[in-house]
Amino acid sequence: MVSISARAADPAAKKTTEKSVAQGILLQTMQAELGRAMQSLGHPAAGTAATDAAAQPAPYFISYDVADAYSTRITAQYGALVSSTENHTRVGDIQVRVGSPAQDNTHGTHRTSALSTVTLPLEDDRQALGRSLWFATNRGYGNALQNYLKVKTEQQVRAKEEDSSPDFSVETAVKGLETPVKPETVDVKAWQARLRELSELLRAYPDVFFDAVVLSSDTENDYYVSSEGSVVVSPTQLARLVIIARTRADDGMELFRVLTYEAHVLSGLPAPEKLNVDIAAMGKNLEALRAAPITEPFHGPAILSGRASAVFFHEVLGHRLEGQRQRGDEEGQTFTKDIGKPILPSFLSVADDPTLSTFHGTQLSGHYLYDDEGEPARRVDLIQDGVLKTFLMSRLPIANFAHSNGHGRAQTGKLPTGRQGNLIVISSKTVSDAELRAMLIAEAKKQGKPYGLFFEDISSGFAVTQRSSPQAFSIIPLVVYRVYVDGRPDELVRGVSIVGTPQAALNRIVATDDQPAVFNGECGAESGTVPVSAVAPVMLVSEIETEKQPQGTARPPILPPPPADVSAAKEVR
Amino acid sequence: MQNQRVSRSASQQVSVKATLHGAVAMLGIAMIAAAPWVQAQTTQKDPVLRAMQAEMERAKTLHLGQMQAPYFVEYRMEDVDEFEASADYGALTRRFRVHQRILRVTVRIGDYKTDNSTAQGNGTAQLAAVDDDVTALRYGLWAATDEAYKNALRGYSAKQAQLKGFQTPPTADDFSPAKPVVQIDPLVKLQIDQPLWEHRLAEASGWYASDPAVKAFAPQIQYSAAGLQAVAVNRYLVNSEGAAVRGGHAYYVCSLGAGTQAQDGMRLDRSTSSTAARADQLDAWDAFHARALTMLGTLRALRDAPVVDEEYHGPVLFSGDAAADVFNVLFVPDVEADKPAPGTTARTTGGYKGSYKSRVLPDFMNVTDDPLLTAFAGKDLVGTYDVDDEGVPAQKVQIVSKGILTNYLIGREPVKDFPASNGHGRAPLAQPAHSRSGVMLFTSSDPMPRMQMEAKLLTMARDQGLDAVYSVDTLGAELTPRLLYRVKPDGTKMLVRGAVFDELDQRSLRTDILAAGDDPFVASNTSGAPQTTIAPSILFGEIGVKRASQEQQKLPYYPPPEAK
Repeated sequence: MVSISARAADPAAKKTTEKSVAQGILLQTMQAELGRAMQSLGHPAAGTAATDAAAQPAPYFISYDVADAYSTRITAQYGALVSSTENHTRVGDIQVRVGSPAQDNTHGTHRTSALSTVTLPLEDDRQALGRSLWFATNRGYGNALQNYLKVKTEQQVRAKEEDSSPDFSVETAVKGLETPVKPETVDVKAWQARLRELSELLRAYPDVFFDAVVLSSDTENDYYVSSEGSVVVSPTQLARLVIIARTRADDGMELFRVLTYEAHVLSGLPAPEKLNVDIAAMGKNLEALRAAPITEPFHGPAILSGRASAVFFHEVLGHRLEGQRQRGDEEGQTFTKDIGKPILPSFLSVADDPTLSTFHGTQLSGHYLYDDEGEPARRVDLIQDGVLKTFLMSRLPIANFAHSNGHGRAQTGKLPTGRQGNLIVISSKTVSDAELRAMLIAEAKKQGKPYGLFFEDISSGFAVTQRSSPQAFSIIPLVVYRVYVDGRPDELVRGVSIVGTPQAALNRIVATDDQPAVFNGECGAESGTVPVSAVAPVMLVSEIETEKQPQGTARPPILPPPPADVSAAKEVR
Repeated sequence: MQNQRVSRSASQQVSVKATLHGAVAMLGIAMIAAAPWVQAQTTQKDPVLRAMQAEMERAKTLHLGQMQAPYFVEYRMEDVDEFEASADYGALTRRFRVHQRILRVTVRIGDYKTDNSTAQGNGTAQLAAVDDDVTALRYGLWAATDEAYKNALRGYSAKQAQLKGFQTPPTADDFSPAKPVVQIDPLVKLQIDQPLWEHRLAEASGWYASDPAVKAFAPQIQYSAAGLQAVAVNRYLVNSEGAAVRGGHAYYVCSLGAGTQAQDGMRLDRSTSSTAARADQLDAWDAFHARALTMLGTLRALRDAPVVDEEYHGPVLFSGDAAADVFNVLFVPDVEADKPAPGTTARTTGGYKGSYKSRVLPDFMNVTDDPLLTAFAGKDLVGTYDVDDEGVPAQKVQIVSKGILTNYLIGREPVKDFPASNGHGRAPLAQPAHSRSGVMLFTSSDPMPRMQMEAKLLTMARDQGLDAVYSVDTLGAELTPRLLYRVKPDGTKMLVRGAVFDELDQRSLRTDILAAGDDPFVASNTSGAPQTTIAPSILFGEIGVKRASQEQQKLPYYPPPEAK
């Protein structure tokens, strides 16, 4: 088992905060406008339009979720600054629901009809805030009415749905007033200089024709109020450094590597010395990959590194355990009927625990205190001893799961759905890395294979790559070695692509090591991009099927990179 | 849009200035010809040009195996400094300052007659270093050139295959040669007092509720939004023919818009804006305030105005503002010569593709496009430039002479009968260049004073036995009237709402214009490459005015919060 440290809250500090936040003009205006909307909408005396109770039913639920966000972004490339911006935005996501929790305007394909998004004043101006919220609520209510009418009509003509769960869960009001955080003060000039230096390091690798070093520092305070009486203030901070480099093999195969570092604030990012070492390793690895042989189709045992396992679990398992994927005509519903059944070897358990802010001292990006529906974050034991127990739930109920478990997440401007936070894979059958390697070789021998594979790094929509697309669960192995049974040194290969059903691979996990690794990244899906983490140990899989990756026929750059400008390279900065 | 009525003397003064400017530009080129080392020295001093020229030398050696080498390579670098802010209901909602460089590389394979180019335009665009770091700039150029060349090779074989499918050869070459110009203009700088403008925008978006003249109407206002866009662009161009051009332009747009609904649910929108090529030429704040109050007042008047009669056919007087919008939609795009689809024998695309040497306007009307006209009525124009975005010196072009279409605006992609550029290859940021207008001027050889036009409108009403005629001040999107007046034969005017024009098309421009005024209005468009259109009031003999058939939306379901 692993030891974990959750962020401790100081109750005394919290009390004073409640008072000061309650006095905040933003929250006050949100509450006042929400109250006015609930009292006015659908009630005959209130509207300026002629009101008819049947045509204009009162909303049963309204929520305001305001994201007050500060961001700094700096990008460098080829050793120079490309872009440096600072931004402050306040955006309100307004939900209006008409009907009843059992059936409302969001039913079926009308999910997003609850949502109306509005840009809000950056200052605490009561009148302007109130008007903006009114404008968006009025628009949202009109949209909700239209969609509710459609839902009712459609329900009369369609066949009975397989899952007749309600459209919205009933939850108790939440009061959670955390202290809003001030945006981090970024020494922009110093970071610009540092990013230039980091990017310039890649000039040492002439075959790298593209690089980007991207720094971001985000501070967001979320203010949430609902007609159920919830009031939540929750801050998040995230600093991220991403370094991307691309090259191309002589046969046209495109090869890339991505380094990602995350911390709550910029000071938590690695020191320059460590980054220099990592970039040098990345540059050398790309040059080695260019020269590496192309893999042959393979069917045999493999080891996935901790990071590779973490990505694998996030993509292959995590996404399929999101609640809303168990419901609806278009969903694959891979695990819908598997509750109480084993879907992993019995020595593996999987939890999603957003309440953890760090794991063995590494910060976790998927940490949050309240989800985007104002529900408190909580640990959810998804799989215990290999047996599926539950799903990642937002406030969209599914058969046998009527309530949220604090995983309703969304990017600002999107309707929350069940999403992962910190996905943690826990193993009770652990061996040392050396033993695991010996087991790989033994397994390969047993299967009569000359080698097994070691997946050191894999990429997917999880990492920041150009290939991400919301629905893509495709996994691209980036760094793969052949581990020979005859004692030859390990050999780097390229062009490996995993085929076959990925779930099959999950069931062939034989053993793990005892050193779980953390993968922090961004995850994209219907409800937008959210920061997530995945934690998993190194894993031995008895059988994995790979084929040659079909990619890229363009040649490497025709001309060599330009020479350094000796006359006056950097006189003007 | 702002009404800029000018006296003749003012516009004459301006044209003197324009001539002077043209002379200076010519002088510049002459001087360069005499002493190339002066220019060479200047380009060597500018790190961006130095990087572009160094990589251009390498690009000339580019070729892949047995494949063709490029016959033309162009580098364009746009250094963009931009400030944008917006405010709603009296408070700032957005402020954003960004400085970026956008690099665009175009590679042409084949020859001037037939190359890889397509109608959409070609090339690769990406962000480049904002540091004056020659090596980093060269890296960006190197990578983009490589990509653009490979794309061009693919495009060339696709084009060859496509052309084999057509019976008739293209009606014009794909590209025209141009004399390489070397011209280094001074850099422009963004001149904007950010805190002042943030304050102003907040104030302007709050006038609906704070100004005593209009605040009684505040509960009916559904949105009130102010915005500022301030942009300074320094554009660098280097091509394999030897051109090296550096030139800058800027524009500043301040706007205020508001909307309401009439009692029957009809949406009503009004807006006002001030556009200038220099920040200090934006409307004085007092003047903008006054115009904003007028705008809000007319919005209120529109809400109370009756819906237009069901159908009308007869004379309609368009203000210069409205006329400029009409020309910008119906006329300008169709004299900008875009290449026709391959395989067709047309000259260009659009309604004027067959109109060369034919009548397009009445015989008293003339149209020129003169990018060298730098100012009008004492104000700099946004559509001005001296070298276009393909490195060709701007030229004044007579487009319509006595109502006859005599010319098209041409960039470096020629069309039938127009084999060379006339300096109108223009590009929006990061986009390929196409034929676009700069400063298009519509004039009458027999201008009629506005008062006289109004009198003529009434005479026509009486002569034709009409109950009323129409006069329009401003238009919204899709040439929909915003401020439309029903005018009785005795001259009394009444604002009406809910109208659309019927049969307002190129035929009506050709046959229905009876008179044009002496009141040129300057319209600025900054949505693509900045363009200016200057047009007077226009009296149409017959236009249809109909009731709009759009569905009326619900009024607000509940009132806005009360103003404090």
